[in-house]
Amino acid sequence: MSEATAKRHMGLRASRTVSNTLIHVLLIVISIIWLIPFVCIVLQSFRVENTGPVGYIIPHQWGTGNYTRLFQTDFPRWYTNTFIAALATAALQTVIVLCMSYTLSRFRFKMRQPLMRFMLILGMFPGMLSMIILYRVLKDLGLTQANAVPGLILVYVASSGMGYYVSKGFFDTIPMSLDEAARVDGATRAKILYKIILPLSKPIVIYTILTAFMGPWGDYVFARYIAFGTSAGKNVAVGLYDWLNKDQISNCYTMFCAGGVLVALPVTILFLFLQKYYVEGVTGGAVKG
Amino acid sequence: MASVKLTDVKKVYDNNVTAVHDFNLEIQDKEFIVFVGPSGCGKSTTLRMIAGLEDISGGTLEIDGQVVNDLQPKDRDIAMVFQNYALYPHMTVYDNIAFSLRLKKVPEDEVYERVTNAAQILGITEYLTRKPRALSGGQRQRVAIGRAMVRNAKVFLMDEPLSNLDAKLRNQMRAEIIQLRHKLETTFIYVTHDQTEAMTLGDRIVIMRDGVIEQVGTPQEVFDTPVNLFVAGFIGSPQMNFLKASLQRSGDAYSVSLLGVTLPLNPDQNAVLARKNAGDQQVILGIRPEHTAVLFAPDENAIECTIDVNEMMGSELHLHLTDKNGDNIIVRLPTMDLTQEQRRSLSYGSRLFISFPAKAMHLFDPGTEKSLIDG
Repeated sequence: MSEATAKRHMGLRASRTVSNTLIHVLLIVISIIWLIPFVCIVLQSFRVENTGPVGYIIPHQWGTGNYTRLFQTDFPRWYTNTFIAALATAALQTVIVLCMSYTLSRFRFKMRQPLMRFMLILGMFPGMLSMIILYRVLKDLGLTQANAVPGLILVYVASSGMGYYVSKGFFDTIPMSLDEAARVDGATRAKILYKIILPLSKPIVIYTILTAFMGPWGDYVFARYIAFGTSAGKNVAVGLYDWLNKDQISNCYTMFCAGGVLVALPVTILFLFLQKYYVEGVTGGAVKG
Repeated sequence: MASVKLTDVKKVYDNNVTAVHDFNLEIQDKEFIVFVGPSGCGKSTTLRMIAGLEDISGGTLEIDGQVVNDLQPKDRDIAMVFQNYALYPHMTVYDNIAFSLRLKKVPEDEVYERVTNAAQILGITEYLTRKPRALSGGQRQRVAIGRAMVRNAKVFLMDEPLSNLDAKLRNQMRAEIIQLRHKLETTFIYVTHDQTEAMTLGDRIVIMRDGVIEQVGTPQEVFDTPVNLFVAGFIGSPQMNFLKASLQRSGDAYSVSLLGVTLPLNPDQNAVLARKNAGDQQVILGIRPEHTAVLFAPDENAIECTIDVNEMMGSELHLHLTDKNGDNIIVRLPTMDLTQEQRRSLSYGSRLFISFPAKAMHLFDPGTEKSLIDG
């Protein structure tokens, strides 16, 4: 290697090192900015010397009192409400979305295209628009306030068929001849979905379950609307937020932080284990979305 | 093991394109039938209608005397091998082959017996625990055949099963399919665009074009007596030469003249033409490359040509010639009996004389494209 090429080689390597360093510094700064609020919440949840908001971050006195206090409130009830709603929605919505996607991907029926276009346009309207009429219907059915959970499940699941895009895109990439081979082999359509398509679509199934779970888990607007006035019908988001109003904040702020940590915990664990599938699901469906 | 009967079977798509026109065919029990034709001729569509993967727009389809038009594929008792194998990627080879049996709730020890038996016949026993992606193209195709085999179905359908394989493997698999056919003793319907496959595999060949059956016959029949220009050109490789000629009648004897030579026809051909009461007319003369006689010296019945290309195939030469009119003629010439001097004389641009034996000539009407003496 001549001196000149060696020098150029060094120059290239040096510039790559510089740019790599810059990128990493930038990424570290961004992640610190991102993580600060979470760290603050966790730290505040262990602060026991004062239950209201304060002007510092690191607690002077540490303890788990906020967590134990949580269980003397309605928090466990809210948590159960949220958990049941999210779980039921995840289960029902996944089944509906996957069946819908399979149908739209594999069957050719009249009005298939118009139906897909119609759902696309319908999906562009914000769901809030339907809130008043939905409230009226749920009230007549007796599914508001203390009975909010089944009402919420009904609302969350009702429009889930419209969320078919990503999984239909994924199903479209699975060759049709697999279906045909299975049909000749004696499988019914349902068996094909269950035994051939779903095992080949693991990432998208997990993605669908996760997104279906996350919606109700973090919902605030609708849950508040339907549970209004009763503590028994609240979900965690509504319940916790109510602790931040003027009368309660000085007493409940640290408890609010502890509640927030408990809400984030299961979802974080879920994502840590399933993130590989989640990313595959998002990108896999995007190939032919 | 069953007969298949198609009566006026038709396929019309939603956009009013007719892919298959009134298809009539009776396939005997244990017959090996091949649908052959260029792409888009409706052969695969017909097969898929028999399989139940496409709706039948008109006519009736009977398997073993039972009309099955509206039956689901699973209720038709058919087995099918797909061009792209269509193996289930998430299952092992064993599970792929066992899939249909398990759906039928066959007891697991019988499943084991039938799967291992099929694997043994196909030579894939050592791959049973692998996933399809760990197999080569030929092995995958064997698995696909195995999956169809274990069903003991009434009819065995194959949709271009060899076209994804390389040339050598294709020849090998073709031979294996012939053997398999004798072992299985069932009715086969095989779709291909390759006339060699059609000729070597089929008991009878169905030649299709644009959704219409052009001819049905044994390989020998369609080769010897093609009913029209299309069949004549499609069957045989290299394809038949077509030359403009004129037919002359004198009494009950006919002759064909082209390029300054007059070739008398043989008594059988004369009889057919006389029966049809053919008169003097323009015709298209068809002659196969392997039926053309090559002369190295001028002769009164020989046509003079120039050599354009000389392709050495080993046992024979493929000579691409141009006649006086500028038409191309391809000739197959066995190399065995050629002298050194003759071989040397077959170079680019040199002259050559060819003649057409009467029994090898095919005559076609230029208007209808139908054969005047065959069929």
